[in-house]
Amino acid sequence: MVMRNRAAWLPWALPAIVLVTVFFVAPFLLNVRFAFSSWTSFRAEITWNGLENVRTLIDQDLLANAVTVTVLYAILCMAIQNTVSLSLALALQRTSGINTVFRSAFFLPTLISPLAAGYIWRGLLAPDGAINSFLGVEWAWLGEPSTALVVVAFIDAWKWSGLITLVYIAGLNSIPKSLLESAKVDGAGPWTRFRRVVFPLLAPALTFNVAVTLVGALSAYDVIAATTGGGPGDHTRALNVVMRQQWGQGFFGSASALGFTVTLLVIATAVPLVWWLRRREVTG
Amino acid sequence: MRAPSRLLGAAIGAALALSLSGCGSSAPEGTGQVKLTLWHNSADPAPLLEMYKKFEKQSGHKIELVSIPSDGFEDTTQTKWATGDRPDILEYHATTSGLLALNPAENLRDLTGEAYIARSGDLYQSAGSVNGKVYAAITGFPQVFGLYYNKKVFTAAGLTPPTNFAELAAACPTLKAAGVTPVFESGGSIWPVQILPILYLAGANQSNAYGKAIAGHSSTLADAGSPFVAGLTAYAKLKADGCFNKDIVTAKFEDSMKALVTGKAAMVAQHSDMLPALLAAAGGDQKTVDESVGFVGLSSDKPLATYAPGPIGTFYLPKTGDAAREKASLDFVRFMTGPAYAEYVTASKTFPVFKDVPNPQGVSSVLQDVKKAYDTGAVIAFNSDIPGMGGLAQLMSELIAGQKDPQKAATQLQGQVEQAAKAAGLPGW
Repeated sequence: MVMRNRAAWLPWALPAIVLVTVFFVAPFLLNVRFAFSSWTSFRAEITWNGLENVRTLIDQDLLANAVTVTVLYAILCMAIQNTVSLSLALALQRTSGINTVFRSAFFLPTLISPLAAGYIWRGLLAPDGAINSFLGVEWAWLGEPSTALVVVAFIDAWKWSGLITLVYIAGLNSIPKSLLESAKVDGAGPWTRFRRVVFPLLAPALTFNVAVTLVGALSAYDVIAATTGGGPGDHTRALNVVMRQQWGQGFFGSASALGFTVTLLVIATAVPLVWWLRRREVTG
Repeated sequence: MRAPSRLLGAAIGAALALSLSGCGSSAPEGTGQVKLTLWHNSADPAPLLEMYKKFEKQSGHKIELVSIPSDGFEDTTQTKWATGDRPDILEYHATTSGLLALNPAENLRDLTGEAYIARSGDLYQSAGSVNGKVYAAITGFPQVFGLYYNKKVFTAAGLTPPTNFAELAAACPTLKAAGVTPVFESGGSIWPVQILPILYLAGANQSNAYGKAIAGHSSTLADAGSPFVAGLTAYAKLKADGCFNKDIVTAKFEDSMKALVTGKAAMVAQHSDMLPALLAAAGGDQKTVDESVGFVGLSSDKPLATYAPGPIGTFYLPKTGDAAREKASLDFVRFMTGPAYAEYVTASKTFPVFKDVPNPQGVSSVLQDVKKAYDTGAVIAFNSDIPGMGGLAQLMSELIAGQKDPQKAATQLQGQVEQAAKAAGLPGW
């Protein structure tokens, strides 16, 4: 049945519209003004101060670095998680006893608190920690500028890859077997079958996973806070970490401006990305 | 359909009533006893926690303790405070900079005129007060900042503990040659790495001269050749000379205490409220601590300790608008500063802030060292009265990582001070 009348869709969409409005749009609109205000803990009056907060953050060398770190971190997380998860999904696609055990094992980190995961990894990666003992090296994985951001992105990937893997497995299992068999009969090898049949048909799962991992990492805080606290120096000081530091010093207006920047970044990244990925689903 | 609707209505009504009753903090009506919320530092020592219980027992009021982790204590308190949430009693920093960030005139009750203030000497001239009004009840002896050192390590190396930065730099090669980390810094906890530069500045801050000049805007942190830039430069040189531990970026505060007690490190720059952590690092064995650890004051060029009124045992009474709870919270302050205080001093073996309370007996030798350093010349931390100095620790992290030089770090911090001073409406800005 095709519903041609647009009004007929409304009752079905209404619950979602109400929820999004009440829990996302309204709080956002009510709070966005603070990004342009003089709100601090030092005085009660809150006045409009235009772009003063942004200017302050730029003058103090905080904004540009935080945006760079955040974007870099998000790209790393997205790339690592999707590569690892797709590989795991291909390995664990077939439903069998042993695969179910492995799927559960890889999903377990998703259930752990991000802070707890961060603290555990910080201990393992300490210069005198278990990983260095095993490798026989002495390296401050989280303390060296060259490795800190990548290592934190890997920890984030470890935390969430189980979930992303499940989405890819669902996507793989929805591909008709007949297509793969036809390709095989036509002489396509495993790599060609993956490149020409599996990957294009995984497009919806890819759209979801890329969007979720990228947007999730843009608003990163917990794993970074638990592992490096933004260090060494400011090498992992993402927007939300700076926001927390500004907040902690009582500069609530500047902190709100940083929160607003995260929102803008998510909108500016996610909307075109999802649009492009959805278009790719249609055009192949 | 009517009955289910009634049932649903009753259920919603009951849920609302339950949730509303949970919002209030008043205890059973007619008893005059109330429930007080106390936001406290998780590092509160056991004798202080015991005092809270004693107050409950004596007054009949209940205290609901909300523990704020000491790691990130300022951030977390400010975050809760910013939401408009107010405890009945707040344990927080007594420094002017810490107090200004609470907007005291608007949010805190004025305790000027309370009996404990006159018994505290001139303590409230430099702490717990703004514009002549006293907001704090300080019961803890000031945090005394200096160098904890391992006595055995120094004896074995044939050295005496340094009391100025030149001596500190000179001791490094000998200690390193003995296979010991000269100074253990814990950048993984972030806040400890600001202590050495603050110690350095004691030389320039006698009578709080430097702090007043910065707060009053007659000098800036970034002035050419300023004491602050000199302090950061001295720190950077120590790092370049290899005086610090290799894992300075990731090491946590607890690691520093352990390294000191075990003799892996010769020195740690810390303050006196961390003595319980030192004891914990020694497995709770006071004898081990006394035998192995001593404390000295140190500054750029003189044997000066630095002090700052600390958060442990410093109480504020936020305005809540609830007369019964406000009365009870004032009773709490009077209890903590009243006759029971002597018991607290005895139990905690810390030094009293009230002149009429005698010093405790059986004080550990390291605490005696702390008191000696304080009595023989202690200078208030230069940043005590300057708002916006909260970013110092973060900038030190960047200095350690080689991302900022001392001059650039000073310029950036001056920007933060300006931001806060203007917001606080300080004269001269």
